[in-house]
Formats: sequence, structure tokens, C-alpha cells
Amino acid sequence: MMSASMPFTEHLTGSSGDEPVQEVALAVRGVNFYYGSHHALHDISLDFPARCVTAMIGPSGCGKSTLLRIFNKMYDLYPGQRATGEVMFDGRNILDDSISLDMLRARIGMVFQKPTPFPMSIYENIAFGVRLHEKLSRTAMDERVQDVLTRVALWNEVRDRLHAPATGLSGGQQQRLCIARSIATRPEVLLLDEPTSALDPISTARIEELLDELKEEFTIVVVTHNMQQAARCADQVAFFYLGRLVEMDTADRIFTNPRQKQTQDYITGRFG
Amino acid sequence: MPHERSHIVSSYEQELDQLRAMVAQMGHIVEEQVSLALLAIAEHDEAAADEATRRDPEVDELERDVETLVIRLLALRSPMGADLREIVAALKITGDLERIGDYAASIARKAIKAASSEAQISFSGLRSMCRLVRDNLSRTVEAVIQHDPNMAMEVWHADRGVDEHYVALFRELVTYMMEDARNIRACTELLFIAKNLERIGDHATNMAERVFYSVTGENLPPERPRGENSMRKLNREI
Repeated sequence: MMSASMPFTEHLTGSSGDEPVQEVALAVRGVNFYYGSHHALHDISLDFPARCVTAMIGPSGCGKSTLLRIFNKMYDLYPGQRATGEVMFDGRNILDDSISLDMLRARIGMVFQKPTPFPMSIYENIAFGVRLHEKLSRTAMDERVQDVLTRVALWNEVRDRLHAPATGLSGGQQQRLCIARSIATRPEVLLLDEPTSALDPISTARIEELLDELKEEFTIVVVTHNMQQAARCADQVAFFYLGRLVEMDTADRIFTNPRQKQTQDYITGRFG
Repeated sequence: MPHERSHIVSSYEQELDQLRAMVAQMGHIVEEQVSLALLAIAEHDEAAADEATRRDPEVDELERDVETLVIRLLALRSPMGADLREIVAALKITGDLERIGDYAASIARKAIKAASSEAQISFSGLRSMCRLVRDNLSRTVEAVIQHDPNMAMEVWHADRGVDEHYVALFRELVTYMMEDARNIRACTELLFIAKNLERIGDHATNMAERVFYSVTGENLPPERPRGENSMRKLNREI
């Protein structure tokens, strides 16, 4: 039995019953997604292990970003878009209409391709989201801001200008600020959609290093077109093609010896 | 062939073809060196022995070229999956081929030296061992060129025969030496030749393992099917 304090809902049991149990943060079961009449995801089922980095790869239009956006119900903003099936998170199907979107998005954070700092100070970028969910004293808020900025390795760079506009930061700094903002509400899952595609190699390396540290605490799902990045950062990799999950395995297996020919063709650049 | 499709980037495909061609060329030269060593053993052909040695720098140069190309491919193409396995296999296979080339040249020189001694020793055992080693090597090189895991597995199993030949030859040569101390000098050369042939067999087995991994992504079992028992028995005897 799981205790109530455990953040995750499902556990996988090894086939023999005595293998190590892999905790699952998000369990996707038979998910289909429609953009109006266009059937974009076909019967997707997979588990996202807790405190691991899972990368979703595949050619443009394969459905990987669509799946990512299902996890915090981004599609709810657009009429005509709908998802069916189950995405189990903390004992509940997040596709149910009864799920509170505010609470869901606080617990499942999202970072986008382009850094999206709010037009306010560095400090307020972080404090703003926290205030929506928690009542913290000034000191506690200061501590929270310092803590998350330290964890994204930004504190030393911005400690003297916390009240300066966040838009004055470099692209890489802005993206780290966005990650800090996402983790400030203490989510359990962090979703990243092409988080480094607009960044230079040094900023990219910093974000990748950050993912490695953050996975000790968070479950991370990253969509990337950069296969080297998936190989460097991910513990496991899911390959999608034409709205279907082709293969999911450890990064090691996917990039050295995938089981499916479509995966092999994609990772070696023989696609199309 | 491992791939039915070509790379989207045609220059990458060309570089891989170039790598395959270099490995094949190196394989053919080394095969030829072993055939020349066989001529030196079987017919005491000095010209063949010279030729086996003369070809060595070509092999060394090809090994360096392959290494340069592999580093370039790894750095610039970031190969993945079957490509990555093939490129790393090519690097290791050329290392094996370079060693085989050295052994072949050394065998050829030693065979001429042994043949020029006054000792009356039969070369027939050595001749058939060298033939077997050459045939296994030819099939290994073919497996490399054809990317054929089944052929690789066959030659991997065939190395047992080379080991058995080695053990038999060892006994035979020790007997010659015990019979007449004047045989010792020539027999020592022949023992080195036998050992070098056995080493060529091992390198061919390495190559077969690398082909198998490169094509299938799976490793052959860690225990090689060599004549282990007879080798162990021999080690206890000496």
C-alpha cells in the first residue's frame, strides 16, 4: 500500500515479483488526441518513471509535443482539441474535467522552447507563481527565491539585481529563470519543450547539467529534436512517429541498438 | 547489408563507404601477407617472404588513415545506432588486421630462417595450420566486407581447429628437440611461427566478434569455443 504522503500513484512490479520496483510518476494509458477532426495521437500507452529524465524524440508532427501538452492540459485553452484515455497522476486521471487546472499546473510545471519571462523583475518572476498557491512571509519568500535561483545556478549571476527586469537577462539566463519559476511551486513533474533550441552551447550545457541535478527530485519529461541532447540527458527515450509510440527504452539501448527499424532509421539519419 | 536506406546526408554515406573500402583494402592486403607467409612455409619461397614484409608499411598507413577517418566521423557526424557500432568496429578491426600483418611478416621471415638450418624437420603440420588460419582469415575478411553475422559466427567457431593444431604442433616440435639438440634452433623458430599463427587465429576471432556485434548489436558469448581443454592440458604438461 502506498502512504498518502507519497507523491506518485502507481508502482510497477517486476515480472518475478522481487525485482526492484520502479516508481511511476505519469502513467499514460490508451491516450488519443484530436485537433478537431485530425487524429494526432493514436492509442499511446507508456510510463514515465519517477525521478528520471525521459526524452521524447521524433520528426516534426509525430505527436511528441502534443503528448507533452496533454500532461498539463494546455489543450484546454483551445476549443476543438480533445484527449481521450487516461493519464494517471497521483491517483487521478488528469484528463478528467474535475481536475483543477491551477493545481495541476503547479504540480506539473512547463518550460517552453523560447524563454518566457514575465515583464517584471527577476524576483517577481518567481514570487508571482508562488503567491498563487502559498502564503509565505517576506523572509520565507526571499528564501524560496534564493533557493530556486541557486538550484538553477543563476543566483551568483543575479543576486545583485534581483529587482531588475528579467527581460534584461541573456537568453540562457532567461531560460534558467523560467526553470527556476517552474520549480518554485515545488512541482513533481517538470515538462520541457525544446528547452535549449534557442540557446548557445554553453547555456545548453548549463541547462543539461541542471536537468541532471533536478532529476534527483523531479520527474522530467523533455521534448527535443536534438538527439545528442537526448543521448546526453535522458535515462529513457521514447520515439514517436506519425502519432504513434514506436519504441521506448533506455537511452543507451535506443542510441546503440534500437529494436525497431523505424527508430534505427531515424537516429542514424536515414529517415524519409 | 545492414541498411536498406541511405543517409539523408549523402556526404556522410560517402564517408562511411570510404571507411568500408579502406577496411576491405586492408583486409585483402593482410590476407595476401598471410598467403605469402604460407608460401614461405610451404615452399621456402624467399621472394614471398620479402614481399610479406614489404607490404607491412601499406597496412600501417591504412590503419592510421582509418583512425583519422573514424575520429573525423565521430566528431563531425555524431553517429548513432548501427552506424556507431560499425564505425567503432572498423577502428578495432583495423587494429586486429595491423597485428595480423605484423605476425604474417614475422612468420615469413622465421620460416626462411628455419628452412635454411640443417635440421631435418617436417613443415607439414605448420603448413596445414597456416592453411587453416589463412582460410579462416579469408572468411573473416569476407564477413567484414559483407557485414555477415552468420559467416562471422562460423569463423568464430572454427578457431577451435587452429588451437588444436597449435597444441599438436607444440608436442611435435618438443619431441624433435628432445630427439636431437641440433634441432632446437630451427624448432624454436617453428614454435614462434606456430604461436604467431595461433595469435592470428585469435585476432580473426576478435574481428568475427566485432562484425557480429556491429551488425546485430548483440555480443557473442564471452567464452570462446577454442580448444581450451587441450590448451590447459598442454599448459599443465609444460
